[in-house]
Amino acid sequence: MNQIYILCIDDEADVLEAVERDLATLENVFPLETASSADEARGLLERIKQQGDEVGIAFCDHVMPKETGGEFLSWMEATPYWKKTRKALLTGQAGLEATVSAINNAGLDFYVSKPWTREGLVQAAKRLLTDYVIERDLNPLPYMATLDAERLSAHAYKKGLLSDT
Amino acid sequence: MNLKTILGLALGILGLAAGIFVPIEGLGLPAQITLGIFIFAAVFWIMEPIPIYATSMLVILLQVMLLSSQGFIFSVRTAPLAETRVAENGALVVPASALGEGGEVYLNKSNKSLAKVVPTSVEAVGEGKVALRGKGLDGEALVIADPQHRSISAGANSYSDFYGTLASPIIMLFLGGFALAAAAVKFGLDRSLTRVLLSPFGKRPAMVCLGLMICTATLSAFMSNTATTAMMMTVVLPIVGSIAPGDPFRKCVALAIPVAANIGGIATPIGTPPNAIALAALKESGINISFSTWMVMAVPFTIALLVFAWWMLLVLFKPEAEQLEVKLSGSFDKSAKAIAAYLIFAATVLLWVTEKLHGISTTMVAFLPIAILPALGVLDKKDIRGFSWEVLWLVAGGISLGLSLKSTGLAVWLIGLVSWSSLGALGVVIVFGVVGYLVANLISHTVSATMIMPLAITVGAALASVGGFNLAASIVSITAIISIAMVLPISTPPNAIAMATGIIETKDMAKVGVVVGVAGVALAIVFGLVYWPLIVR
Repeated sequence: MNQIYILCIDDEADVLEAVERDLATLENVFPLETASSADEARGLLERIKQQGDEVGIAFCDHVMPKETGGEFLSWMEATPYWKKTRKALLTGQAGLEATVSAINNAGLDFYVSKPWTREGLVQAAKRLLTDYVIERDLNPLPYMATLDAERLSAHAYKKGLLSDT
Repeated sequence: MNLKTILGLALGILGLAAGIFVPIEGLGLPAQITLGIFIFAAVFWIMEPIPIYATSMLVILLQVMLLSSQGFIFSVRTAPLAETRVAENGALVVPASALGEGGEVYLNKSNKSLAKVVPTSVEAVGEGKVALRGKGLDGEALVIADPQHRSISAGANSYSDFYGTLASPIIMLFLGGFALAAAAVKFGLDRSLTRVLLSPFGKRPAMVCLGLMICTATLSAFMSNTATTAMMMTVVLPIVGSIAPGDPFRKCVALAIPVAANIGGIATPIGTPPNAIALAALKESGINISFSTWMVMAVPFTIALLVFAWWMLLVLFKPEAEQLEVKLSGSFDKSAKAIAAYLIFAATVLLWVTEKLHGISTTMVAFLPIAILPALGVLDKKDIRGFSWEVLWLVAGGISLGLSLKSTGLAVWLIGLVSWSSLGALGVVIVFGVVGYLVANLISHTVSATMIMPLAITVGAALASVGGFNLAASIVSITAIISIAMVLPISTPPNAIAMATGIIETKDMAKVGVVVGVAGVALAIVFGLVYWPLIVR
């Protein structure tokens, strides 16, 4: 079974720590990997791909020194291996234009505005990961206890993912 | 590659070689090869170094290559040819040693098949040679030198017999079931039925639980137990969500579904794959059980065990809540295609249960939905691709292995290791039932049935020929026992689904599984010895 990671990219260490703390409840099933820049994130993604593993969600800060979050998520969207990964922009200061561009070009699935609530972030992560597992047609059993079991079993039953063997 | 995978691969291949090459007193070469394949399959099915359906495919491959009369070992190609010449009078002169015990000779027909010819005249011409006349005995004839050669003596099945299992009537019966289930799922018939069936049960926890169990068992009697469980989970999870976190009733509801799905599969021939293995084994012995006969046997058993399980669940997980929120939205799909699906479903089931009136067999009626649903556009290409084909491979591999166990005499030799006649009917059902129950708790029910059924049917047939033993009733009894093995999450896919929700713990499942399982085993033995023999001979 492939491991599904959550990836978080932000140039501010305390934001990464906050995300790590808030998503600790998912850590057992969906380990979190963090990076402080787009380049570092690419290295991480390469390693994850080498292991044959996957990334379920990428949370990315928009305003970063070298490459903006929007640009990085667009690159992920354009790379076949990362196309299905759910993409979330995590920022308090992206202008309307940048946000619209991210939605149009980066296949943005979610927008987290700083400051967020723990409850809100966990719920969003669960919903996006459920979407990811469903879109990949993965065996839902390992994820049911953590994610939206009802949607996962509905999908498994509609698609016949589980059989009597 | 983890240790278990490597160990499984090594043991399986070692078992294959050991079965073939370790000489065993009283076993011929075909039986030894079958033993090797049987050990190989058992190890692979139990340790799963490759998926179980892939093992079933390998079983058929090994049989075609190693056991068929066209394969590497028993093909007529492997038989040495005799020196022949045509005498002046047109007779064929061959070594006398080429003649079999009945004075016959065997010919190699263009390396493909074997022909047995009894010559019309045989005269000795000296030097250990004989002159033969007869049909096909001319200069072209390829006479096999040794009438005892393995390609002649093995009596191997043609490779097409092994392939043919995939199109056996039992497979078609299951395919019919798949087509009906696919149509039901596509138009939400199962969900709509659940809504209608649940409404009279009100809001009291105990009654809601009974309603859920009756719905689940009814659906899983016609659909896959696993798909039914996945569907019912979508109904049950919101109910569980509305129950207070500390209330044991949460566990009761979550466990009720897999328990009812496992029990419900026993109710009809198409309820669960082990039933197919049992029907195929009985068919080989010349016993055909119709859809309605099976239901007359199995439905009372299912109801009795279901009610017991319901009572047990309420005792073990006593509800604290007085009222439950049961909200099921939706309505019957009334599109033309949905109505066609309902009608075909109803017509097929009606034809199945009225076989006594029209005489068209269960397995023939099964082809009606297979052909008509796509013809009406109710099912399309994508739906057909969505059938659980791997289940059919499992069943076919099982039937195919059973074929070789029987035809090579391996089954008879295996059961010869135990003196069964001293056990009597009760002893036989208990032994096979208990072994089946233990095995089926640990590995797939279908695979357990595959390994146990050929042996059970061989013992049963031997006892039945002496008299005082009802073969069909005993086999149905063993099949029912296999289906109620549900102690662990790995016992059945429905258990795995219920476990995955995180509502229950393994010990909850084990408690219910053991109590309901032991009661079910006892009940199946009683039914198999007392009630079922009244229905099938």
